[in-house]
Amino acid sequence: MILLFYLVFYGFLAALFTFTMWVMLQTLSSDIPKYRDRISSPGLMISPKPDTALEFYFNKSDAQSYAEYVSTLRKFLETYDDSKQSQNINCTPGKVFDQNDVAVKKACRFNLSELGQCSGKEDKTFGYSKGTPCVLVKMNRIIGLKPEGEPHIQCTSKDPGAVEINYFPSGGLIDLMYFPYYGKTLHAHYLQPLVAVQLAINSNSTNEEIVIECKILGSPNLKNEDDRDKFLGRIAFKVEMTE
Amino acid sequence: MRIAALLSDVTDAKTFLLLQKKSDVYSVEINGLKDLEKTENRDEEKYKDLKGNKKKKNEELKKELDLDDHKLSTSQLEEKYGTSIIKGLSSARAAEILARDGPNSLTPPRATPEIVKFLKQMVGGFSILLWIGAVFSWISFGIQFAQGAESAFDNLYLGVVLALVVILTGIFAYYQEAKSTNIMASFSKMIPQQALVIRDAEKKEMAADQLVVGDIVEIKGGDRIPADIRLISTQGCKVDNSSLTGESEPQSRSCDFTHENPLETRNIAFYSTTCVEGTATGIVINTGDRTIIGRIASLASGVGNEKTPIAIEIEHFVYLVAGVAISIGVLFFIISVSMRYKILDSIIFLIGIIVANVPEGLLATVTVSLSLTAKRMAKKNCLVKNLEAVETLGSTSIICSDKTGTLTQNRMTVAHLWFDNQIYSADTSEDQTTQPFDQSSPSWTALSKIVTLCNRAEFRPGQENLPVMKRVVVGDASETALLKFAEVVLGDVMNIRARNKKVAEIPFNSTNKFQLSIHETDDLDDKRFLLVMKGAPERILERCSTIMINGKEEPLDSEKAEAFQTAYMELGGLGERVLGFCHLYLPENEFPDTYPFDTDSMNFPTSNLCFVGLLSMIDPPRSTVPDAVSKCRSAGIKVIMVTGDHPITAKAIAKSVGIISATSETVEDIAKRLNVPVEQVNRQEATAAVVNGMELKDMSLQELDEILCNHSEIVFARTSPQQKLIIVEGCQRQGAVVAVTGDGVNDSPALKKADIGIAMGIAGSDAAKNAADMVLLDDNFASIVTGVEEGRLIFDNLKKTIAYTLTKNIAELCPFLIYIIASIPMPIGTITILFIDLGTDIIPSVALAYEKAESDIMNRRPRNKKKDRLVNEQLAIYSYLQIGIMQSVGAFVTYFTVYAEQGFLPSTLLGVRVDWENNAINDFEDSYGQEWTKYQRTYLQWTGYTAFFVSITIQQVADLIIRKTRRNSIFQQGLFRNKVIWVGIFSQIGIALILTYGLGHVTALNFTPLRFQYWFVAVPFAVLIWVYDEVRKLFIRRYPGSWWDKNMYY
Repeated sequence: MILLFYLVFYGFLAALFTFTMWVMLQTLSSDIPKYRDRISSPGLMISPKPDTALEFYFNKSDAQSYAEYVSTLRKFLETYDDSKQSQNINCTPGKVFDQNDVAVKKACRFNLSELGQCSGKEDKTFGYSKGTPCVLVKMNRIIGLKPEGEPHIQCTSKDPGAVEINYFPSGGLIDLMYFPYYGKTLHAHYLQPLVAVQLAINSNSTNEEIVIECKILGSPNLKNEDDRDKFLGRIAFKVEMTE
Repeated sequence: MRIAALLSDVTDAKTFLLLQKKSDVYSVEINGLKDLEKTENRDEEKYKDLKGNKKKKNEELKKELDLDDHKLSTSQLEEKYGTSIIKGLSSARAAEILARDGPNSLTPPRATPEIVKFLKQMVGGFSILLWIGAVFSWISFGIQFAQGAESAFDNLYLGVVLALVVILTGIFAYYQEAKSTNIMASFSKMIPQQALVIRDAEKKEMAADQLVVGDIVEIKGGDRIPADIRLISTQGCKVDNSSLTGESEPQSRSCDFTHENPLETRNIAFYSTTCVEGTATGIVINTGDRTIIGRIASLASGVGNEKTPIAIEIEHFVYLVAGVAISIGVLFFIISVSMRYKILDSIIFLIGIIVANVPEGLLATVTVSLSLTAKRMAKKNCLVKNLEAVETLGSTSIICSDKTGTLTQNRMTVAHLWFDNQIYSADTSEDQTTQPFDQSSPSWTALSKIVTLCNRAEFRPGQENLPVMKRVVVGDASETALLKFAEVVLGDVMNIRARNKKVAEIPFNSTNKFQLSIHETDDLDDKRFLLVMKGAPERILERCSTIMINGKEEPLDSEKAEAFQTAYMELGGLGERVLGFCHLYLPENEFPDTYPFDTDSMNFPTSNLCFVGLLSMIDPPRSTVPDAVSKCRSAGIKVIMVTGDHPITAKAIAKSVGIISATSETVEDIAKRLNVPVEQVNRQEATAAVVNGMELKDMSLQELDEILCNHSEIVFARTSPQQKLIIVEGCQRQGAVVAVTGDGVNDSPALKKADIGIAMGIAGSDAAKNAADMVLLDDNFASIVTGVEEGRLIFDNLKKTIAYTLTKNIAELCPFLIYIIASIPMPIGTITILFIDLGTDIIPSVALAYEKAESDIMNRRPRNKKKDRLVNEQLAIYSYLQIGIMQSVGAFVTYFTVYAEQGFLPSTLLGVRVDWENNAINDFEDSYGQEWTKYQRTYLQWTGYTAFFVSITIQQVADLIIRKTRRNSIFQQGLFRNKVIWVGIFSQIGIALILTYGLGHVTALNFTPLRFQYWFVAVPFAVLIWVYDEVRKLFIRRYPGSWWDKNMYY
């Protein structure tokens, strides 16, 4: 009797739970979340992301030591392969690409060639074998975000002499034409713009831990100085190269 | 001998001392060993301690009771104590002795040191669990800190918060406890006793506790004897030794050595007894704990204190909840370890589960509720010394009540009159101002004159404005009764006496058994003297040859004598003290106004008088008592009267207050009705019993049990206070929760032994008050009944409070379990849980203590200690498995809504825990393709906490409302009758608003401002809880005894 009662009781509660959840989900759009106030400004992230929290350790003469970074980068860049971008269009650089009125949102083409030496086309090891490792910096996708000004990535090392930093595209520019993002369902082929940072590590500084901090600059609506969120518009990582 | 006999009544005195007579020396001895052998083994453990203790004291007492001061002459005494009966001690010498002997007061029972009390609060109840939680937090902090994890400090804070919670609730409970103790302390210090002492050849009034051995003190009628005193001069001194011996007849005291034994001799007066009349001077021979009373009291304090029923219930409840907490905690520890969570994480889960499961605020709430009731009871004249006693009174199933002062008004009052062959009833209520009986007969005029004139009692001057009944009278009880009666009926008695000048008087003495006086009359034309006489009716009648009928003297023939006998028997049968009144106008020619009346030679007639009437007096029941007794009866509480009075009086009072109901009969009554010998009556037929102390003495425990079992209405008469202990133990053997009233020192063992000892605030001795759990400020039985009502109410309300508090524990626990099993982001934080337990929920749970009773709680039987638990299975299951689960569902809906509307659909959330909590993942993708940093996720998680918190709070409002009743519909109970509930609801929501919006930016608290609509997500569930509970109650009312009723009623 007791079992029966609880069977009915919990059955009813489960049904009720399911029903209310269903009702709640019905109120949601499948395209964009109801609120986006918790992510008003994007975070920065890098690829490859080492297992050891954002610390790169490798030996430039030992291919095995950076094989994982290379394969991660390769995998990451697969979606950027020209063959995958056939349906993407060439957009007007420097301008926000508003598609609010269009039912099917187009994705802008991001040419791997823009990543120059870090595209993996010429140097299959992304510079790791030459002591000039590449790290890709990307900005988190946020639906509807339209950066203002001229956003670009700038990285600094605490010890300026230790490393020389090159950006691809030059100046670490993030083009406005890739914004806004319309979400997974509407904007299925969207590719977020990347900035490759090539670290030419000074030979004096091998075997040293170099701290690199990258920030997004040049855009008033992209925060990079939040006290609590160390990844909001910035990212710091360490690189130590041995020979 | 009387004392010896009374004290040795204690046959089962495993806990009490026995005074035995040994040739000419009195020794106080505990026949501990012998009695311990006799008692069942169950008690052995308990008393082991006492045995050891008492032996030592025993030796000491034996030595000191070799008292020979009563045999010494005054000069020998002066020498012995270095004093002078004229000059007294010198102040310096007195100070020396005081320093040596200590103050003349009874040492209160040794109190537990404050620090021990405090530490007990710190580790009692759930505190141990929380300490474990705190220690685990610190351990995991240590490990994480060593590993350099960023979130390590969270655990440090959590540990600190948990420790703070324990310490704060401990301090709070300690403070509450201390406050109620202080009430008692202030009460006992209210009236410092004063004594009149001769020191430095001067009479001084000083505090009685400053007295030392050798002081010369003066006492007068009405005083409490300030120490054990050897009397050196007396004038008509009588003392009431009832507090020592239970004997209520005043005993006269003189300076003569009348008995070898110090307890029997007349020249010693004992500490804490009262001087009823006369004056005396004496030398203090013992002070403080060395007085006879002090010794008895200190021994009595050794009687073990049993755990109060509510303490047992709370312990049971703590075990239950702790058991649930630990078993779920350990179960999930094992589950999480076997699910390959890290040990450290598993420990953190364990802490969370413990914190979620333990109702941190509940014990504090219980304390507050009890102290609120204690306050309420104090207003109704029940002063509770021990908070837990509040509830004990409610579970009382037998009250052993004193008669004098508790059931009765403790003053003789004229109850009946007989004149003109007719019995008239007088008003005996407490505040009489007129008497309603027919006063037109000339016989009454004559009778009233005798009542007024043949009376030595007088009002103390200066009380003209007080009601007659409240005025203080100098005189014995009967005379006082007559004086007040006359004052009420006739008005200014003193003036009447003044107009009828007294010319001669023979006071009452036990040989004559009459009192006589001769007066001039206020009739100026009538020069005759009036002789008035009162006394024992049969003695008065012997002296009469005529009787007054309707104002005319008629010869006293056998028929009229028969009528007198009938009336006398009838009044006597009511347990009343009957006095006869007669008069004679002395012929003017034989007794001219110059006639020299000589009371020694009795040169006036004392026979052939004219009988006028009878007056009977009784100590009448308090007017509120019959009602209170019938309330007890309907509440299933057996009221047993235990009195030192005569069985007839006891029975009459018992009948008039309803302790023996009108229809029930004793064995003797049945025998009389059927006209058969008592032995032939079937004892089962008699519902009532009047047991004489003498019979009780010869009874075996089985016989006593039989009486207590078989008769529902019992009166114990002529009992000594010691026999009370036996009666109490007998009642406890029946499994009853026994309340006992008492006032004398000798009552203290019974008061201690009882589940709740009730001391009289006015008549009670300090020793009795010390031993009692409760003090009845107005000595009124009816106050006990209101106390019972409050006690029962608080038990019901505590049930509600606990049910309310336990419910949300499931809503706090489920998140952890689902978090572990389904690996969703943490729905509610540990700190947030503490904010519910110690923040929003506190005031509402206290508010339930103000809830009115659902039905007449005085119409149900007292709760069965073993069956009616505070927290029973039904309560736990209904709260945990039904309402608690409903709350969890409601809260989870809110949680999922918050996440879904921010981009994380429920399907995305399942199984994300590891990545979600990974600090290195800062591009965590939601259901819409957006990417989140760790901090953004954490902030969302806090929003989830807040939403979960708000949902629980909202549903707790519904929980609070449904807990108002357990059986009745909320609409029957009235939603608005208990205003405090609404204070609770508003405070709950107010605190939630402040936490969410006011403190939403304080990171450490893990609250974030919440969108307004999320407050309403759980509202349908709150409504559902209410509706469901209404349905539950409806079925319970509709189908009593059904499966539903058995499983759903808590």
